[in-house]
Amino acid sequence: MRRVYLDNSATTPVDRRVVEAMIPYLTEKFGNASSVHFFGQEARAAVDRARREVALLINARPNEIVLLSGGTEANNLAIRGIVENVADHGRHIITSLIEHSAVRGVCDALEKRGWEITRLPVYDDGVVRLDDVRAALRPDTVLITVMLANNEIGTIQPIAEMGALVREERARGRRHLWLHTDAVQAAGRMPVDVEVLGCDLLSLSAHKLYAPKGVGALFVRRSVRLTPQNIGGHQERERRGGTEAVPSVVAFGAAAALAREELSQRIDHMQRLRDHLETGVAARVPDIVFNGHRTQRLPHLSNISFRFIEGEGLLINLDMQGVAVSTGSACSSGSLEPSPIIRALGRDDEMARGSIRFSLGKDTTDEDIDYVLEVLPRAVENLRRLSPLYQHALADRACVVADEKDVLAPAI
Amino acid sequence: MTYSDIFKDHLASPRNAGEIPDADASAERINPVCGDRLRLTLLISDGRIERARFLAYGCPPTLACGSALAEMIEGMTIEAARCVSRQQIADALDGLPARKQHAAALAVETVRAALDAERDSDFVMVK
Ligand SMILES: Cc1ncc(COP(=O)(O)O)c(C=O)c1O
Repeated sequence: MRRVYLDNSATTPVDRRVVEAMIPYLTEKFGNASSVHFFGQEARAAVDRARREVALLINARPNEIVLLSGGTEANNLAIRGIVENVADHGRHIITSLIEHSAVRGVCDALEKRGWEITRLPVYDDGVVRLDDVRAALRPDTVLITVMLANNEIGTIQPIAEMGALVREERARGRRHLWLHTDAVQAAGRMPVDVEVLGCDLLSLSAHKLYAPKGVGALFVRRSVRLTPQNIGGHQERERRGGTEAVPSVVAFGAAAALAREELSQRIDHMQRLRDHLETGVAARVPDIVFNGHRTQRLPHLSNISFRFIEGEGLLINLDMQGVAVSTGSACSSGSLEPSPIIRALGRDDEMARGSIRFSLGKDTTDEDIDYVLEVLPRAVENLRRLSPLYQHALADRACVVADEKDVLAPAI
Repeated sequence: MTYSDIFKDHLASPRNAGEIPDADASAERINPVCGDRLRLTLLISDGRIERARFLAYGCPPTLACGSALAEMIEGMTIEAARCVSRQQIADALDGLPARKQHAAALAVETVRAALDAERDSDFVMVK
């Protein structure tokens, strides 16, 4: 069976060249980067090289990069590390309604421990408004944490504008306000530059960049102090204890270098295919809605709500034909609430349950998209034929047509 | 979450999907927690279910249970259909994930509601 992987926002395949780069560090170059002898120094040098590559990807300095286990840990360290450090100065955090669970969950947990959280709306286009950020600022606000690009609908948030706002506040003498952004989905899919963004902290995860799972980084601007969350080792300049995962870190570095070199080709390629997918779906499947801002979004992602059906049924039908996608529907996410992200756009439950995320990768082909366009309309149609909501709607439409005829009849 | 091959087959090729226009009995039930919906229409003669058709909206277990139910009760006597259990439906699908048992409950509830409606309509006719 043909297999088409359109779930690159969940994870990406490891690039061959990345595998090649890491293999020596799984075999003969096995040293502990903290050791003083040759083996350790060899590993140390490799970690330093990788750190430089990761820093270059986001225009940071190597000593501003804390290597750790992935996006979730980066978000935990950023948020908890900041707010615990400045708890005496204020306990208010501004975030958005569409954060990844790794940010949402941390904020929820802090709320239970006495912090106050303002969760900004995103309107029907899935974008936070700067005016809302400004209005939410309080004297005791210590952190703004808003993602750079959303994982479910791909919308890009105005982080650079928030960065400018934070700098303005600082210029007015405010000392305890920081900006964190989760750039896990954005890196490798759009230019990410910490100077342009003006953020103090930024989270990265290697497995969305064609490197292995279980490694990532937190950018921490030079002047920013964090309370470490992993205590018990001197690694990462006391900011994150634990023996460095040398092979994974090397892979992350290699993947970051490739992402930097190939960024514009990747963007062009994914965007062309994504647009081909969307045009094709719109032409073949009625009663759909595209979710999220049409232009202010990542180039590889398309989120579509299919009216009258539920996402996981469609996901399984597509999977049986070799097409891998994802859905924010309640069933697959293990909660009873349909996708909080799609709900935050103001869509009803039915649209939230019927949403499917297609996320392309740098290696997705034209043939992949053509295959999806061949099997998707039939899968949707099959589920709709089963759906009482669809049958009710068809009956309603027939009545509307009949009513219109009645209305028109006397006039003729 | 993993589903059995039979389960997925019901999803890919639902049995007895659709609606009987002049049904002798019908019911549509909604799971109030998640909004899942199951609609069942039946043709009944001589105390037996001759045809059963289902429509379903919701998570895959709801669709699969609707399909398994409609397949299972065709040919059954009304009494037997009224006694179909959640376990029987789950078994027909090679099991359901623990958190999805409510889908079988919705199926059982819907067939009983349809048959109750049928009994009530008899009652109305007799009256
Ligand atoms: C926006 C976002 N943040 C954080 C994460 C978590 O990253 P990791 O899987 O490396 O813990 C993800 C991954 O799904 C993500 O999409």
